[in-house]
Amino acid sequence: MIAENTQTQMRKGILEYCVLLIISRGEIYASDIIAELKSAKLLVVEGTLYPLLTRLKNNGLLNYNWVESTSGPPRKYYTLTPEGTSILVQLDGTWQELSFAINQSKNQTNQP
Amino acid sequence: MKKTLNINIGNSIIHIEEDAYELLTGYLIEVKQHFGKSADDFEIVSDIENRIAEMFLEILQSQQKPVIELEDVQVVTGLMGSVKDFENEPEEEPLADTVNPGAAPFIEKKLYRDTDEAMVAGVCAGLSHYLKIDVSVLRVLSVLAVFIGGSGLLAYLILWITIPKARSRSEKMAMKGEAINLQGFKRNFEEELSMFKNNMQQAGDRFEPIVKRSGSFITEFGEVLGSFLQGAGKTIFRIIAIIIMICASMMFLAAFISMAAIFGLWDSGTQDLFPFTIINENYLNTFVFAAFVTIVVPILALILFSVRVAFNSKPAGKTFSYGLLLIWLAGLSVSIFFIAKITYEFKEEAEFTQSVQLKPFTEYKIEVDRSRFFSKEDSLRYQLNAADYTGKVIVHDSDHDDHPFAPPRSVSLRIEKSEDNTPSLTESYRSQGVNFEGALNHAKNIQYDFKQTDSVLTFGSAIHLKKNAKWRDQRVELLLKLPVGAKVKIDRELNRYLQGFNLWNCSEENYKEDMYYGIMTAEGLQCRFEE
Repeated sequence: MIAENTQTQMRKGILEYCVLLIISRGEIYASDIIAELKSAKLLVVEGTLYPLLTRLKNNGLLNYNWVESTSGPPRKYYTLTPEGTSILVQLDGTWQELSFAINQSKNQTNQP
Repeated sequence: MKKTLNINIGNSIIHIEEDAYELLTGYLIEVKQHFGKSADDFEIVSDIENRIAEMFLEILQSQQKPVIELEDVQVVTGLMGSVKDFENEPEEEPLADTVNPGAAPFIEKKLYRDTDEAMVAGVCAGLSHYLKIDVSVLRVLSVLAVFIGGSGLLAYLILWITIPKARSRSEKMAMKGEAINLQGFKRNFEEELSMFKNNMQQAGDRFEPIVKRSGSFITEFGEVLGSFLQGAGKTIFRIIAIIIMICASMMFLAAFISMAAIFGLWDSGTQDLFPFTIINENYLNTFVFAAFVTIVVPILALILFSVRVAFNSKPAGKTFSYGLLLIWLAGLSVSIFFIAKITYEFKEEAEFTQSVQLKPFTEYKIEVDRSRFFSKEDSLRYQLNAADYTGKVIVHDSDHDDHPFAPPRSVSLRIEKSEDNTPSLTESYRSQGVNFEGALNHAKNIQYDFKQTDSVLTFGSAIHLKKNAKWRDQRVELLLKLPVGAKVKIDRELNRYLQGFNLWNCSEENYKEDMYYGIMTAEGLQCRFEE
């Protein structure tokens, strides 16, 4: 239970970062984002994604445009805004720091 | 075969089976519910719907089928994730200021009368929901308010009239302050619309004139009273029915015991008691049994009926009831037959007379011999030992011979003036019988005691029949003829036997020491006290 809690906490933070990373590669829509996350073995359900995307969009990190499709309803294709890009850079930095911190904690032995 | 519907989801028209639709609807409501807490619900939900529509279309395309089935919905909602799985973090976001703070319920609580949980009119129940006070506390308070000062009753009535009854489910939910939640919606999506309608109607209700409201109050009051009476009345009937049942059972038992006694199950001597001396022995038992049936079956029916009323059960089936009816009719006809037969025994009448010469005296004392004459059999029955009673006389001490088993009065006395100036007594013995001979025989078997000791004329109080002689209305008529000028002292006990003359008519002065004083005149017996 406790592990799950921490795991959830860890995932929560990372998810947003991953999503931004994925979108930064090029415009993409929700379903494909899910597929990418699955291939990256970061499991999440689509239902989680939509509120997240909407929130990011409302915060100005994302933009979307409608693309008509022949087989179904129109789709939202998301792109990063400049602000989104700059946030992403910040998150990159944060990630480096965290990664370093974890490695340090792992590899260093405790002083006797 | 299944019913399908068309839905418009994500700007696409999709055929979907009914059960799939139900599931989908439920899911979408949950989603709406979930995101309703945040500001962007519309957009998120429409995104989700779009995605779902897309997935449906893919399924229809790839599986080459025309309609979405239940499994498809399950697959899609699985992919979307259930609401629980949505990892939402509106709590720590500063942008979550649009979220409703606290647990403000969707619907504010409204004051209604709760007639579902009402004792009388639901006033206390409704109040308890609104005030969040336990209903029993409110009830106790209102009862106290009624008794102390009585104003509580008036207040209760006012509340009864003014507070509306919670009729619809949504009203009831509003009364209880239940958020119109997922459960309720899941149950009935359409009721959402009707609730809206009801709200409008309720607004209209509020503006109803108070008179109309009082009118419905009166109806309701009548209903409550009626149902109370019905309930109480039913209980009263039940109690009465139980009482009847117990009494009838006792009557049944008594009848049964009587019949057994008559049959001679034990030596109860009932054959010697009056009504049964009428009946010949050879058909006594049969007749008694038939009479028993005639009397008892209605009692039994009464018992069964009262059981049915008391315990609300049907103890006897139709066949049984019909059988009982037949038995009763049989008993009745047999009884009637025997009654006819018995009456036949009384067809003829015979009489014979004998005369007794009396010694003349100037004054006679006429008295009744109240001593009981015991036949041998009677003595045995009463276990009387003659030796104990030598010199003593057992007197029949009752004032009236009218106890239930006494035969009708069989002795009558007339006192008239004698034609030839000599005193005489004529005894006429009479009886009924099946024919003249039989009647005469019965008459001859009458025993009656009269004796004259000096100037005292002693008349027996009753006739005696031989043991086992059947009663055939045997009687003796005595005609006492006295010469004019003869004085009499009559025992007052004689009055009941005296025909044609009522001793009570004599005035006080003619009554001394329990004796009436009289004299025979040319016009008949008259009360006169003379020295």
